[in-house]
Amino acid sequence: MLQIDSKYVEKALTANALEELYPLLQNAVELEHSTIPPYLTAMFSLKPGTNPVQRQIIHSIVIEEMLHMTIAANILNALGGTPSIDHADFVPEYPGPLPMGIGKGLIVGLEKYSTDVVKNVFMEIEEPENPLVFKSLTLAAMPTFSTIGQFYQAIQKKIDELAPDELPGDKSKQVTSSFFPADELFPIYTKQNAIDAINIIIEQGEGTSTSPLDQEDELAHYYRFEELYKGKRLVKNPDAPNGYSFSGPDIPFTPDNVFPLFPNTKTSMLPAGSEELNRMNEFNTSYYSLLAGLHVTFNGQPGNLDNTVGVMYDLKLTAQKLCGTAFPGKSGYTIGPSFEFIVPAGS
Amino acid sequence: MSYLHAPRLIFTGDFLSDVSTVNNDPAHYNNNTFQPNFQEPGQGATNGWWNPEGGAVFDFQNCSVKQLFLPDGTTQASPSDDIIIGQAVVGAEGRPTGKMVDLDPDAQTYSALWCVQIRICTANGDLLFKGDIATTSFRDLQPRQLAGAKRNGQPLGATWTSVITNITWGEAAEKSAFLRTLRATTQGNMLAINMNPFGYYYNHNDGRFSLGRIIGSIGPYFEGEPLTFSPSRRLYGIYQAPNAQRTYFSISNFLVEQDQKRVSVDFGASMPVSDPLGTVTYNQDLRLAVSKVPQAGFISEYTQAYYILPEDMVEIGAMNYQSDPNWLNQTGGIVSFSDLPDETMDTLRSNQLLLVAPSDSVPGHFVIIAREAIDGLVARADNFVLRLDCGEALKVDFYAYRWGVPLPNETISISLQPPTPDTPLSASNPISVVYGNNFPADGLAFQGQITTDGQGKAQMPLTGNAIHSPRVYIDGQIYSINYQTATVDPAFGPENLVVHLRDYFQALPNPVWDDISEIMTQYSNLYPIMSKYVANLADPYALIEKKHIMLFAFSRDINDTMHMPVTRDLSDAKRNTILNWLNNPQITGSPTVQKGLSQLAATNPAVPGTAPTKKQAEYIEAVKQKNGSFPGFRDVLNLFENL
Repeated sequence: MLQIDSKYVEKALTANALEELYPLLQNAVELEHSTIPPYLTAMFSLKPGTNPVQRQIIHSIVIEEMLHMTIAANILNALGGTPSIDHADFVPEYPGPLPMGIGKGLIVGLEKYSTDVVKNVFMEIEEPENPLVFKSLTLAAMPTFSTIGQFYQAIQKKIDELAPDELPGDKSKQVTSSFFPADELFPIYTKQNAIDAINIIIEQGEGTSTSPLDQEDELAHYYRFEELYKGKRLVKNPDAPNGYSFSGPDIPFTPDNVFPLFPNTKTSMLPAGSEELNRMNEFNTSYYSLLAGLHVTFNGQPGNLDNTVGVMYDLKLTAQKLCGTAFPGKSGYTIGPSFEFIVPAGS
Repeated sequence: MSYLHAPRLIFTGDFLSDVSTVNNDPAHYNNNTFQPNFQEPGQGATNGWWNPEGGAVFDFQNCSVKQLFLPDGTTQASPSDDIIIGQAVVGAEGRPTGKMVDLDPDAQTYSALWCVQIRICTANGDLLFKGDIATTSFRDLQPRQLAGAKRNGQPLGATWTSVITNITWGEAAEKSAFLRTLRATTQGNMLAINMNPFGYYYNHNDGRFSLGRIIGSIGPYFEGEPLTFSPSRRLYGIYQAPNAQRTYFSISNFLVEQDQKRVSVDFGASMPVSDPLGTVTYNQDLRLAVSKVPQAGFISEYTQAYYILPEDMVEIGAMNYQSDPNWLNQTGGIVSFSDLPDETMDTLRSNQLLLVAPSDSVPGHFVIIAREAIDGLVARADNFVLRLDCGEALKVDFYAYRWGVPLPNETISISLQPPTPDTPLSASNPISVVYGNNFPADGLAFQGQITTDGQGKAQMPLTGNAIHSPRVYIDGQIYSINYQTATVDPAFGPENLVVHLRDYFQALPNPVWDDISEIMTQYSNLYPIMSKYVANLADPYALIEKKHIMLFAFSRDINDTMHMPVTRDLSDAKRNTILNWLNNPQITGSPTVQKGLSQLAATNPAVPGTAPTKKQAEYIEAVKQKNGSFPGFRDVLNLFENL
């Protein structure tokens, strides 16, 4: 995971009351969300029916980011805080930095899939505290920056210190879903629930300190992206240092089967009165509807999560159609989903 | 249904309808002859029409409250009059949009809204009210567009009438005098809503592909009234200009309120429009009047115009629509005349309302553009579009009115339309035999005659019997059932129920893939949006990979917008078998022989080439227009030519 401004870790470590953790957990919810639009844009740019492994890997990571966002919101609710999702500050401006000053200014945009984007953006986002190096690479120097993993650990430590065993939040606000295993997404009623849940976020993102696998024996995000970058599956190899090497099956990639999205497409780039603008507005209306739906879900109506799953499909279908639509006036490009926070009239 | 009662609001704007179109051709349902190019856009038998990748989304766009009509007969149109005026009218938020789907490829003129939410907020986003529009299907399709139909593609308009249920009133609703009155007037915490869509774009023109215009009105609901049509009086068009080919002002609802001495006529569904956006540029002198003598005229090949002398009618007043080309969008096309003289109101108790225009060709006379139903008689079925599994029984509600008053003891006769013939392979039907409808006749059991009770209401029990693939490759059968009172008004004709009776199918607790593969392959063929972007429904491994979301969607209630299949055309038995397979996917193994398959499928009693009835012919033409393949529609240069 990425390096973040150490002040957030310090804030967590110096908290004297649970309330001081609320803004930090809100930051966490925002951070987990902020990675989803770049990942989804890359995934939607893969032409339907092609590049299946790329799609599958990104999809698996997006699902886990959604899980992490849900966990972070559940913890915030469990501590008595209030997740806030339906406001303009929740959505980063792309291209731009992610929340919490992450990555010393790593600029993250919304671009089509490419191995460059995987290497230079996605792997940067997901870089572990201490990346395991397989095969030819040498261990990098120990990082001197705080990481998002350390940030979560600091929150975990403070919850352990400050919270009562039974957490004070309204239990009816906890969100669970049949789409996630109960041992990954569970209601957070107790301090131990919160500690366990944070471990899931850290390990799914980072792997453990000795293995690229997380608790569920799945590759952590960084290593899944690294597979795409190297075009090879990472497999167990007793002869290799750390027990793994990129010596598995090839992961074929056909660059021609990626829609040429105009990088960081914005609504304002589309001609007024055009069908393409209508489609983009439709997309952003779905995006707003999704955020508004999630806000309601995390603020006392957990049953609405199912409805937001439906909105995600509306959003996905509109986005994928956009990706296949020629960009008016920009020869050779198609339209990327802009993920802009635009409050529709009437909301 | 009382959308014409006060207080009512008018909203206008656009609707988005992303209906899918591969399923517009019945032959595309045949898995054996399906070709990949049927999923490409294009007209004609070998392509997927205008929106093959549609996802059935329906939503309001650019809609806003235009004006209010108050119980005292006044109109408000300025935001300073009431906070609701000018506010956006929108669909759901935080849950998926509503859906718009047909009943069946053999019943394409009953496009229904499912699970549409309607919301109106203040400019700050504070809720005024929201609610769910109960499922409702197109009624009263009629020609709308005089010009420019080639640009958008669809010259017809239609009507959706329904009720808004599950209403939530926002705190801000208290700040609107209109909403306070509406809330106090309506009954059962429901509201009446009427929406008139027209000007729909099949074509990629004007930036409006898949958009149409919609005019809506919302008023109080009164308990005991029908849910899908207005219990109002009706005007039928009986004038056809020589260059028009069609009758305009075909169907309009109107309400007579004796206490208020008021007549409110809704031309929102019938007013001819000069372009797809609802602009009205003609300026014909049009007046409302009450006929003192019975009028029974109707358009035929012999007569395209009927005349009346001024002394034979009581004039009510002129429609003042000419000053503003945007009149229809602003007013919703509803004209109200209040404080009418007693003579007018008395005459209206048992005489027909007319829409007339001064005649040029017969000086001193008026042409009757539209007249009220003969004897003021309106009898309609409420739940007239039906999805029925075999073995299932339901009741169809009928309501009869005379001069707007519930009509007891009225007999309604009900009869199955004759079977339509199969269409054999030919140059004009190149893909597959297309099977006919309305057989076997014993697929449905119903009462052939019913009589209204003291409240003018009658119920007809309807039962679905087992049928065994009369259409071979399309599930079930479409039955059109005519109903009529003793006298049929030829200006409107008998109406019909339409039933999709599903095939007999025994649900299987442990199905193998081949028990459901034909069903899933057909969905995969017909709805490329699913197979292309979500999961290839024809591939069991792809379904297993997406098992969770498939279980989620196939198990949703039919009134949940996420219900699969979106077309809602699958019997419970088949849907449960799919769910059972998803819960325990077995790829190999022999399918269970369904009992029905060992029986002979019903033979179609209609000989190929049998001429359609008038109603069946009208359906065929409407489908052609729907699919943008009707070549004969040309601009109407002067609707009032040679009056």
